[in-house]
Amino acid sequence: MRTYVVTRLLLIVPTLLGVASLVFVIMRVIPGDVTLLILGGDQAGRIDASQIAALKHRLGIDQPLLTQFGTWLWGVLRFDFGTSLWSGRPVVEELLIRLPLSLELALAATIVSVLIAIPFGMLAAVRQDTWVDYLVRVISIGGLAIPSFWVGILVILFLVIFFGWGPPLEFTPPWVDPWANFQQMVWPIVTVGYRYAAVTTRMTRSSVLEVLREDYIRTAWAKGLRERAIVIRHALKNAMLPVITLIGTEFAFLIGGLVVTETVFTLNGVGRFVVDAVAHRDYPVVQALVFLIALGFVIVNLLVDLTYAWFDPRIRYR
Amino acid sequence: MAAGVRRHQTLFVVVALAVLIFSVVGAHRALQAAEAPRRGGVLLAVIGADPPSLDPHQESTFANIQLVAPLYSTLLQIDPYSYPKIIGDVATEWTISPDGLTYAFKIRQGVRFHDGSPLTAADVKATYDKIVFPPEGVLSIRKNAYTAVERIEAPDPSRVVFKLKFPSASLLNNLASPWNVIYPKRYLDRDPNYFKTNVMGSGPFKLKAYTRGATFEGVRNPDYVVRDRPYLDGYKFFISPETSVRAAAIRSGRAHIEFRDLPNAEVEAIKKQLGDKIMVQTTPMTGQFGIAINSTAKPFTDVRVRKALTLGLDRYTAGKVLYGITGLKLVGGLMRPGSEWALPDAELQKLPGFWKDAEKSRAEARRLLAEAGYPNGFKAVLKNRNVKLPYQDFAVFAIQEWRKIGVEVENRPLETAAWFNDGQNTGNFELIVAPTVEYMDDPDQFLGRYVTGSTQNWGRYSDPGLDDLFARQARALDHAERDKLIREIQKVVLENAYYMPGLWWMRNVVHWAKVKNYVAPPSHYTNQKLQDVWLAGD
Repeated sequence: MRTYVVTRLLLIVPTLLGVASLVFVIMRVIPGDVTLLILGGDQAGRIDASQIAALKHRLGIDQPLLTQFGTWLWGVLRFDFGTSLWSGRPVVEELLIRLPLSLELALAATIVSVLIAIPFGMLAAVRQDTWVDYLVRVISIGGLAIPSFWVGILVILFLVIFFGWGPPLEFTPPWVDPWANFQQMVWPIVTVGYRYAAVTTRMTRSSVLEVLREDYIRTAWAKGLRERAIVIRHALKNAMLPVITLIGTEFAFLIGGLVVTETVFTLNGVGRFVVDAVAHRDYPVVQALVFLIALGFVIVNLLVDLTYAWFDPRIRYR
Repeated sequence: MAAGVRRHQTLFVVVALAVLIFSVVGAHRALQAAEAPRRGGVLLAVIGADPPSLDPHQESTFANIQLVAPLYSTLLQIDPYSYPKIIGDVATEWTISPDGLTYAFKIRQGVRFHDGSPLTAADVKATYDKIVFPPEGVLSIRKNAYTAVERIEAPDPSRVVFKLKFPSASLLNNLASPWNVIYPKRYLDRDPNYFKTNVMGSGPFKLKAYTRGATFEGVRNPDYVVRDRPYLDGYKFFISPETSVRAAAIRSGRAHIEFRDLPNAEVEAIKKQLGDKIMVQTTPMTGQFGIAINSTAKPFTDVRVRKALTLGLDRYTAGKVLYGITGLKLVGGLMRPGSEWALPDAELQKLPGFWKDAEKSRAEARRLLAEAGYPNGFKAVLKNRNVKLPYQDFAVFAIQEWRKIGVEVENRPLETAAWFNDGQNTGNFELIVAPTVEYMDDPDQFLGRYVTGSTQNWGRYSDPGLDDLFARQARALDHAERDKLIREIQKVVLENAYYMPGLWWMRNVVHWAKVKNYVAPPSHYTNQKLQDVWLAGD
């Protein structure tokens, strides 16, 4: 077990190095120049070459690419991700403004999803081809088919048109004002949680259905065990491996992948930050965010792998 | 009995008169109370973007000026209640020498920056030196507007003098630019780029906080030079790029105002729901969406081809079709229709692309294309900015219009950086959507882009006759003479189809009725200081 964990932790290094190199190269080959963006503004012009050169020098992007990459990597080793080319503030500082919101949204949406998906997925499997199963399937397919941002816009319009009320436009951390936080966050959490639950419900249903056809389940029935014991103790636990994998991957995605939902609900989260940084060619921010999101994925995957043993004691880590 | 009746009548008359007098006085007082500015409250606004930087000298987007204008003072300003009248801000009075070569401004005493230091003529000089004669490495995107300025002097702390090389008809307009905010000299001396990420102004509000992608807040400046102003305790912008979200924020009362523009569909829905709780100020805007033609790329080197394209655009139908969804409405030349310098309709309608008979225009376009060697039309690419409103909708309309004259054009949306790069810097395009948006109807601002070598001249044409006309109008202090030259410039550009104006924008400023004393000017860059704005009670 220890060897396994150490090996997996060591594997993180080349993975992240690969990600960092890839992002570094991609950001520099895509069209668009950060200096023109900074100098050009919305409709400005009148920029001459000396101004561009001066700005490039000030931002340090007139250095050879390898030097820039090396400098950046050396900073990462000291947990210094550099300074945003746009705001002039340290990237870590900028990230810390947005991370609590994204973490809250991801965690709460995951909890909502799990609370909905596992009981309903299990119920649909156990009551396969009954009205319960059909209802769960219709609702979950709806969640897969309808984009979250559209649901979000509908939610906002519904609230505004029928109640003349809209969610607050500014994030308040739960430890500052839990009620204000609830008023703002409940809608995106439900919206994202619905889509997330739809995916997880489908996976839970299929997985439980598969397990319910196993021999040991038949044996359990033959032994005269109660349905609840068979489904929860024997079937559900064994059906959880793919579900846990999905939950882990989705959770990591939610940290930085909710750009449109964040836009709809005016949430200043990590997703919008990433897209904004790409649009502005803010190299240090993009590199740092992709690096940290990749790190998040790797760690969540490791944790998911480690939970397998609890669900299935036959699994051995070597 | 009769005496008793008379007594009662007299008493009745006296009581009635008293009631009448008290009612009139009461109503008058109530009216006064209703109209008297109320102190306090925070104005909540929504805005569609973050500023690229906080320095208005280096930016040209509403996302900058709407946020920071309340934090700063300018030398002159456009009268918030009477566009386009120029009034003083830190300048209390000014004189112009008879030869038009010396402008002397008296600086208001008692103006203080937010750090407590006094604003003097030296700060105004340092600010304008940065704009007109920028040091190396400092961008001044407006220095071309001040080519007439030879030097700026500050002979004493309360006087600034602009010495000109030649008379400039637009100088006062240019000195009223909302972008030319006054910075403290000692900060500029230390770092001319300081204001890209910091604020140190002397305006009615001080910067409280800015969180990129979320909010921008100002708080009342208690030491503001104008006594008893501002009325508001502060202002706060919520940043959301999604139009429907901004509209919903207004509808739910989470925000009081959207200063830039909301599409008609949203405006109608808001009005329907909120009735007289909401106000909509609709003004023609000092902005126009048009198409630049690369005059160095074949087949657009041929004036007949350029003319055919502009003839192929039915602008009158476009105004009807696009207004509801984009706000683009008015047909006009190179100066805003209805403004002081606009071409009269009678003259405009004689020019290619502005004839009222669309079929006749298309027939002429086809004839010109055939004459130029393209009887079956040709294919071209229209580069565009990947912003839906109104860029994409406008392009879609233009493309389907050109199809009617046999020209197949592909709309190619580009990210802003690539759009700028291809349009402005490298000229890597055949046709490109290129709007012109300025802060007032000033000929120097709107027509400077048609001059040889101007970086705003995306079409890269060179017409010495046009350059001469521009230089003459810039110096013409006689209004009639200048008007004649400006009309001539517009005719030359439009007849040669150096640029294709599309439609002029209408601006819908939507706000709750309790937002008082805000008059929407034709530009979304001006009247943003919020000095006199106040919030009535609910």
